[in-house]
Formats: sequence, structure tokens, C-alpha cells
Amino acid sequence: MRRTRTALLATVAAGALVLTACSSGGGGGNSTTENKDAKVKQSKSAQQLAGQITFGDDAASKGPAEPVPGATPGGTMNVLERDSYTHLDPGQIYVSNEGQLATLIHRGLTTYKLDNAGKYTVVGDLATNSGEQSDGGKTWTYHLKDGIKFQDGTPITSKDIRWSVERLFAPFITNGPAYLQQWLANTAGTDYRKLLPDGPYKGAHLPDTLLSTPDAKTIVFHFPKPQTDTPYLFAMPGYSVVDSAKDTKQAYDKAPVASGPYMIKNFDQGKSMTLVKNPNWDPNTDSARHQYVDTFAITFNHQAEDSTKRLMSDSGENQTSVSFDNAVDTDNTPKVVGDPAIYKRTVAGYQPFVGQIDFNMKRLTDFDVRKALALAIPTKAVYQALGAEYGAEYAGGFLSPSLAGYQKADPLGKAANPNGDAAAAKKILTDAGKLNTKITYAYVNTTAGQQYSVTIATALKAAGFDVQRKELPSDTYYDLIGKVDNQYDIYASAWGADWPSASTVIPPVFDGRTIADQAPNYAHVNDAHINSEIDRIEALTDPAAAQKAWFDLNTYIVTKVIPGVPTVYYKQLQLFGSKVGGAVYNNMFSAIDATKLFVKQ
Amino acid sequence: MLRFLVRRTLGAVVILLFISAFTFFLFFAIPHDPALLSCGKNCTPDNLKTIHHNLGLDHPVPVQYYLFMVRIFTGHHFAAGNCPAPCFGYSFANSEPVWPTLIDRLPTTLSLALGSMVVFLLFGLGTGMLAAWRRGSAVDKVLSSASLVLSSMQIYFVGPLVLALLVYNNHILDQPKYVPLTQNPVHWFSGLIIPWCVLSILFTANYTRMARSTMIEQLQEEHVRTARAKGMSGAYVFFRYAWRGSLIPIVTILGIDLGSLLGGAMITEWTFQLTGLGRLAIDSVTKTDLPMLMGVMLFSSAMIVLFNILVDAVYAFIDPRIRLS
Repeated sequence: MRRTRTALLATVAAGALVLTACSSGGGGGNSTTENKDAKVKQSKSAQQLAGQITFGDDAASKGPAEPVPGATPGGTMNVLERDSYTHLDPGQIYVSNEGQLATLIHRGLTTYKLDNAGKYTVVGDLATNSGEQSDGGKTWTYHLKDGIKFQDGTPITSKDIRWSVERLFAPFITNGPAYLQQWLANTAGTDYRKLLPDGPYKGAHLPDTLLSTPDAKTIVFHFPKPQTDTPYLFAMPGYSVVDSAKDTKQAYDKAPVASGPYMIKNFDQGKSMTLVKNPNWDPNTDSARHQYVDTFAITFNHQAEDSTKRLMSDSGENQTSVSFDNAVDTDNTPKVVGDPAIYKRTVAGYQPFVGQIDFNMKRLTDFDVRKALALAIPTKAVYQALGAEYGAEYAGGFLSPSLAGYQKADPLGKAANPNGDAAAAKKILTDAGKLNTKITYAYVNTTAGQQYSVTIATALKAAGFDVQRKELPSDTYYDLIGKVDNQYDIYASAWGADWPSASTVIPPVFDGRTIADQAPNYAHVNDAHINSEIDRIEALTDPAAAQKAWFDLNTYIVTKVIPGVPTVYYKQLQLFGSKVGGAVYNNMFSAIDATKLFVKQ
Repeated sequence: MLRFLVRRTLGAVVILLFISAFTFFLFFAIPHDPALLSCGKNCTPDNLKTIHHNLGLDHPVPVQYYLFMVRIFTGHHFAAGNCPAPCFGYSFANSEPVWPTLIDRLPTTLSLALGSMVVFLLFGLGTGMLAAWRRGSAVDKVLSSASLVLSSMQIYFVGPLVLALLVYNNHILDQPKYVPLTQNPVHWFSGLIIPWCVLSILFTANYTRMARSTMIEQLQEEHVRTARAKGMSGAYVFFRYAWRGSLIPIVTILGIDLGSLLGGAMITEWTFQLTGLGRLAIDSVTKTDLPMLMGVMLFSSAMIVLFNILVDAVYAFIDPRIRLS
């Protein structure tokens, strides 16, 4: 799930916030957040995540979901959100806040189940399991559950799934993810549209050699190449089901037909949304969601500072309020964590983003120079600017703890020594005869960007670099560093995985064959070993073997190529009212898990 | 009188045309592609081209402006969705026609502006008249000093302060929010009382000073002094002669202020999370949402121009010399 570019910039430069213990939910869940040392909780969080994400079978996918301890039905939950929802059509949903909403109103073939012990499983959602692969991972078969319906009571069939896939090729679908389309068409970019230029709207369909629906409950995908991440793919909100009989094309974006536990009663764009229970959602078909709350009353335009102050006050209706996405704002974080009565009403976890200082390999071709840069840069400056332990965790590599198969490693010693090692860097430069190498450091002109850039530039000068700082405006920052021929040597960026697999991190960020203007390979790294390893790992059919291979490749990139230095794993701290129960942070959504919430009676 | 109104209305149309053209061309001078808003993560050149076409951004800017003006009256079916007349475009960011959004936001702004007007007129004129009546006394000095202090207060400072004191910390008043008057008059009132008062602070101070000075001026007019000389009571002269005379400049300024407020009180709406036209304007700017920005600009401009005409009309009604000028 991705944030908007604006939000991404904010994570790079400003400071989204905090987080610790992923499963430590207060407010009536199975555990209560206690005012313990945050670092302890962070460490625990990473350990809990490592290697825990598994693909669920029929038993794991069978409803109803495990009850949330202490949960009581009924009541209205007030939700304070910053951004309104631009898109409600599943095919147009990509950004994180819309994905969070989608968990309440839409369902796909698979989804993420977070159990009361904090374990994540990819389970069958509409399907009976997370997927049955054959033909070396090229063919994936799904069987639909009994009793799954749209909000009007119409049964969901394989025809709806086919329709939902085929309409993604239509020209009006421009915002959602394109992985599935590209996998089916076996092509990059938007060439996939040639496969079905008008979608299904003029009677054409994808051939059975790619997508077959032999009966009303069976769907078979035939990919030209092995796709072992298919269960993750279908858990993306962008691949949720659309009612084929009620598809209104563009208008569906404002009035979609719900398949999840809630449906839209009222949506006033930019102001408010009301969700009520979907009477045709059957809990026995859903192993991940609940329907405790009667009504979600969502209002928009609440900046983090506003939502934090409201929730801190815990007055009146704020007692039954929560924000799915808003973090505690930086200025109020000390008050929140310093007051045990407030802090117990928080949850914390990882965001998908990993920050890095990119080294432009079109300009910095000398390995020793890059290594000296990596050693000298004080990542503590970024860490502090993001709210310290409540907004970040020191990174040892480019792969986040929220990814499946995470292996904690710090091969460059950056997490262990976040102040940087100017002496070691200077020795490398001296030995290589590269003292006083000119470095143009581009940084974003936000408060945080300005703060940490000064510290980093000072450290680089101490290490023997001739540093020139270049301030870039925040609204065009990524446009400027995204140009292949940009005239900067180092600059910060951040990247978040679309699903908890390194396959959505290393290929887009480090595959040299994808270098292009505005492509996320901001360092312009083009290493033959990385490229060949990407091809090899993507062909692996054993998820565990693939996970290990990705993390091995990560170590190779960090130590043998050094296209940048990882700085921090982004985290987030969230607050909720005293009468909100079941509040648990879900690392897969980077937000409070809305499907578990209840109002304390 | 009719000729006067027709002349002023035609002038207003020209002003609005100029504002619309200025805003439109200024927007495209910004080096930022608004289609990126709708392009998502996988923003390839092909995708961008499709969105340009869907939003009508593939035409030259002058053509886009011409089409924008024509479609206000004819409506248009964009690839992104239908936009019936009056069509002020289709929002890039919200994927909605602009006009219904403006109409949807208007009641919030209307409630805020009119409620605030009542407060600042009541207190502003009241204290101003009192200060004028007691000119030179301690009351006058206190009120004049207070108005000076209040006029230096800013909403972005007073607003959060009032929220902290009355809402967050002491739970005395409800969280500010807009509830339609027709839905629940009590909640409408309780939800807006803080924004009304905060927005009124600056206006109250200004109207106090204005009312005081114009009233003092009127009290020194010959006809007022004549009335006093004829033996009329001070209160009678004050309200019967001086008060009426002082209203003319106040009505003039009030018309302009109200027109501006109906265009959206941006900082107040932002401070209290009220989703009116002011908030919409801020969002449109930050999201580079040209159609919505154009809609808000034209609506706000129209309000200001309209109230200027109304003020001129009232002024002309009061003073026939205006009609002849």
C-alpha cells in the first residue's frame, strides 16, 4: 500500500510519527500498552514480525474471526481523518487511507489476518484459502467460499472476479496498482492495456489461457511467469471485488457496492462519511474481520495536531474517537508519552517506509568515496528529526522489519553507530587519495530537512569532503532528484513496500534496467549481479527461499555496491479515546486495524 | 436607479471575467502538472497522456479557458464524469463537479459569516457608541484601549488558545463543528459559538473604533447641535440623529466585510476544522486543483462584487448624489 507522493515526501523530510509494539493494543484488547521503555518495545516488535507472515490454508481462512477479548457490539465510533477519500472504486484504490477504508467495505480473494497473539497470516478472504499454485507458480487457482454476497444480497461469483480483473484494463482506471495487469500481459509500464483496451465493457474478455472461470466458484490465473507473491497481490485493496451487474464505470468511484462488513450510508466528499453495518456480510465467511461497531462516523480535515489534541483531551465524543491513520503529532509526542494516563491509550507499529540517503552513482563512481560517505553520515540526525524512538528506528539495511522473512542485520554498523565514523571515513579517503572530494548535497526545504542536512553536511566536512548544500523546494523535490541527469551527488528518499515482501522493494529501487526519469531507482544503481539476482529470485517458487535470497541480496547491496546508506525504519504512534476498545496497530495497513474496533459500553 | 444598477452589474461582469482569466493563466504558469494528482504510483507517460485527455488538459491553455467559460452555461461530460450546467469544471483531486461542491460548502460559510456578523455588530457598534457617548471618560479609554489590543489579535493565535481553555482542558464548551440549522438548531448554535466569537474579535475591535469615530463626528454636526439647542434630550438626539448619520460608512464597510466573509473565512475554518468555502480554497491551492480553485475564486469574487453593488445601491438610495455621479 502506498502513500501519496505528498505523504511520502512528508515521511522523508518531516516526520510522520512513531511507534512501538505492534500488537500492544490498549483499550480493551487482549493486551494493554504500558509505559515501558520504547526501545524495548521496538526490539520486541521486530522480533514478532520476523518471518511470521505465512500463507494460510482452508482452516486458517475459515470464519468467523477470532473474537476480540472484551468486545461488545453496538455504538458509534467517531473517526478523525486528515484526508478525504478520493477513490472508492477498488480499481482506483492505492493510497494508504483509502486502503484502510477498503478493509471495512471491500473484500478480495485474500486478505491479512492479524490474530490476538500478533501473528499475521495471508488468508483466503472471498476465496477458501490464500491460493493453490501449480505449474511452478505460474498457475494459481482460487475457489470462492459459500455465503459471500454483495450488500444487496447478490451472491458473489467467479463472474464478478473476472469482471473485476478485466475492468482494470479500461482507460478510466488510472490510479490503482498495475501488478496483476502487468503479470497477465507479461509486460511493464502501461502496455498491458493493449491486452483488453476497453476492459470488458464492449464484450471482449481475457482469453482462458490467462484467466479462466470454469464454474461459478472457481477462478484460475495463468501467468506467463511464476508469481509466488500472488497471495500478497490479491490482498491489495486495489484488487477487491466489483459487482459486475452494478458496475457504473466512473460513477462506481463514488458509490461502490460493498462486500465487507460495512457499507456506505452517506459520503459528503471532503467533509464526512458514515458507514453502517452491511446486513449481507456473513461473519462465518470472514476469518479476519468483525462487525462490532454499529456506525463509523468519519470526518475529514483533521490534521495530526488537531486529532492529537482532541484525543488527548478525551472529552465528550472524543472518548469514542479514533483516527485510522493520523499519528500523534511531533510537538505533542512528549506530552503523550510522558503522561501514563494518555500513553496507555496508544498503539504503535511500523510504517512500510525505509529512509535512505541515496548516492548518485552516475556521478559517484568511486566505491571508496561511497563507502566513506556511508560511514561518515550520522543517521542520528534523521532519526532525531523524525521524532526519535517514536517516529523511527535505526536501519541496518534497505528492507524493513515489516517484511516477511526479516533478518536483522547491520553490516555497515550504521544502527550500532548512528553518529557516524568520521575518522574511518577520512582514512578511506586519504588512502584512496580522494580527500576533499566535492559533494553536492540536495535536501528538501522543510524544517526537518533543513535540520538534519546541517548535521550531515558538518559530519561530511569533518570526514574530509568538500560539501555544498543545495536546498530544493518540497513540492518539486522528487521531480528534481528523480531526473537521471540530476546534478546532485547525495539526497534523501524513502520507499515503502506494496506488500510485505522484498520483491516490491529491491526490484523497483535497485534494478538497473528500470532507470528512467522519475523511476524510484534514485541512486541510478545498475549492477550486473543485482540485476541477475533479481531475475533469479523472482523465479523462485519457494517463498522462504526467496525471502532469504532477498535479504542476502540486501546485504550485498549495502556492503558491496553502497548506492546509499539506510537511515531509519519509519514508525508511528497512534492515540485513541478511552472508550475505544480493540485498538491494535496493524503493520500491514500501517494504521489502527479498523476491523477489530469496538465501543466500550 | 435602474441605469445605475445595470451599469454596475455590467462592470461586475467585466471584473469577474478579468479575475477568471487571470487565475486561469496564472495557474498554468506554475511548473507543476495537475494530472499527476490522478496518476497514482504507476505514473507512466502513457497513463499521464490518458489523464490529460480525460481532464481536457491536452488542449492549449487559451482553448481550455474558452471551453471552461462555455461549459459554465452548457455543461459537459468529461471522461472522468458528468458535469451538468452550471459547470465550473471537474475537480482533479475530488473527482467531482465543482458547482455541487461549492453549494455543499456554502451553508457552513453562510452560518459562520452571518453569525459572526451578528456578534461583531452587536458588540462593535454597542461599545463604539458607548465610547462615543462617554467620550473622554474612563469608559471611553478602557473601551478604546481594549479595541486596540483586540485588533492586534490573530485568529490563529486566539483560536487554539480558546480551544485549549474552553474545550480541551476544561471541557466547558463543545468541540466546534458545523451541524445544519435545519437538522438541530441547538447543536448548530453550540457548535459555532466559539468560531463566531473568535472570528468576531478582530471585526468587533474595528467596528468599535469606527463606530466611535463616526459617532463623534456626527455628534459634532450642526444639525445635531441644533437639535440639542432646541432642548431635545441627549439620548433622543443620539439615537434619532447622530446614530442614523453614522450608519452610512458602517453599512459601506459591512457590505464589503460580509462579501469577503461569504467568500470563505480561511483561517477560521482551518483553525476549527469547518468545511466551508475558505477551507475548500486552501485545499484547492495545496492540491493544485485548478477547477475547484477557479470555482472558489469566482464565487468569492462574485460575493464581494455583489455586496459592493448592494452597498452602492443602498448608498445611492440614501444619498441621491451617488446616482448622478
